[in-house]
Amino acid sequence: MSFRGSTIRPDESMNGQILRQVAEAVVQRDCKAVESFTAKMAERRMDVFQIINEGLIPGMLAASQKFRKSEFFIPELLMASRAVKLGLHVLRPLMREKNKQVVGRVVIGSVKFDLHDIGKNLVIIVLEGNGFDVIDLGVDVSPEKFVRAVEKHDAQILAMSSLLTSTMPWMKTTIQLLRSSSMTGVKILIGGAPVTQVYAQNIGADGYCREATSAPAIAKDLLGIKGLQSGNESR
Amino acid sequence: MDVKCNGTLWWSECFQERRNMVTAKSAEEIPKRLLVLACAVMEREIRQFQNGRAEFRFFDYGLHRTPENMAKTLQIEIDQAAKEEYDGIVLGYGLCSNGIVGVSSRKQPLIIPRIHDCISLFLGSSESYRDQTARQPGTYYLTSGWIEKGQTPLSKYEDYSRSYDRETAMWVLKEEMKHYTRIAMIDTGVADLSTYRNYARRNADLLGLQYEELQGSLSFFKKLLWGPWDKDFLIIEKDQSVFQDIFMES
Repeated sequence: MSFRGSTIRPDESMNGQILRQVAEAVVQRDCKAVESFTAKMAERRMDVFQIINEGLIPGMLAASQKFRKSEFFIPELLMASRAVKLGLHVLRPLMREKNKQVVGRVVIGSVKFDLHDIGKNLVIIVLEGNGFDVIDLGVDVSPEKFVRAVEKHDAQILAMSSLLTSTMPWMKTTIQLLRSSSMTGVKILIGGAPVTQVYAQNIGADGYCREATSAPAIAKDLLGIKGLQSGNESR
Repeated sequence: MDVKCNGTLWWSECFQERRNMVTAKSAEEIPKRLLVLACAVMEREIRQFQNGRAEFRFFDYGLHRTPENMAKTLQIEIDQAAKEEYDGIVLGYGLCSNGIVGVSSRKQPLIIPRIHDCISLFLGSSESYRDQTARQPGTYYLTSGWIEKGQTPLSKYEDYSRSYDRETAMWVLKEEMKHYTRIAMIDTGVADLSTYRNYARRNADLLGLQYEELQGSLSFFKKLLWGPWDKDFLIIEKDQSVFQDIFMES
């Protein structure tokens, strides 16, 4: 491969190539390839948040889009997210090293009577991959439990997910409970397949995530933090 | 009156105005000739109330997997019905993950059960469904129609096994169902339960879940087909369209 006539330096081009490869490996649900590409990038001392935001997450986004278009189904979506998790596992020690100060603390869960968590777990992956400290309350989380956890962990963001129109009203109940408490500055982020921007506005949420992968950008925006690249650098 | 939700009208006002158009009808007012568009999983229950004045069309359960196709499919049928002399169109669908959002009829009113999904129909009321959910939120419901025409954990496992090895297929199914605790077979009385019991139990055994049989009911189906269309129904007048919030009261 020749780089003559190009302004891209060979190492940058190489980085770009490997980032595309890892994204493609996520779409292919090839866990071993994701692990080995990620390890290779770490060895090359590439920025850990660049690996996540330009490699693993674009791969997950592509997989989610295929799911939306019915090219992928539940198995493919779950396998792609397993692959991303493995990649993040490789990067975890580096993230800890780099990310001494967390970007923000998020309490997250699926709302009361809702047992679905594929989307919510994806949001956790991408938030953690962007330096957020995430407290996962799991599924079927009552409004009281959400509010108690926000208080206990001093979270800046409360994130709620719902996959059923029948459980969506619990988001509203939780927001009302939180707003009636003394924790007035907490931002609320909601999402889930049947949830819409209009619904989010109507129940008084501060942010709405249509795609799990958009969560870090929206969360940072809510906290007034610019940029997606890295945790402590962007503060 | 044409009401548009477009920022010129504050949202809650808009909702209020549209809700006012949704009115309950007494039994005497129920139109004479109905077109019934329903999901195939409830065909047996709906056909119990077949009489001369209604025509039935049933649609593949697979529409649930792609809510956007559900609205498209139903809209084609509804548009077609505008050329016919029906007095009303009954939908054997709930909100179904927003699957019916946007559907509208330019000639006949649409009659829709005010439910999120069909489990309320099979159990006889939204209250019974709420009670069951509160008892055990992690319940996968089955009915005879659901087993024959819908999806079950076993049918999913078989599906996944076509593309992946057994171990992977099982991993996917377990991931997908990890928070479920119970398989509940609803008996609406339209089929011989002993034919389905064994299969329903196998679903529970596959994942090590509790198995339970629940007494279903045909009362909601009867009201859907024969009226009265009371508080449990939405009547969408012609040229109005279905939107999510009218289902969101409780």
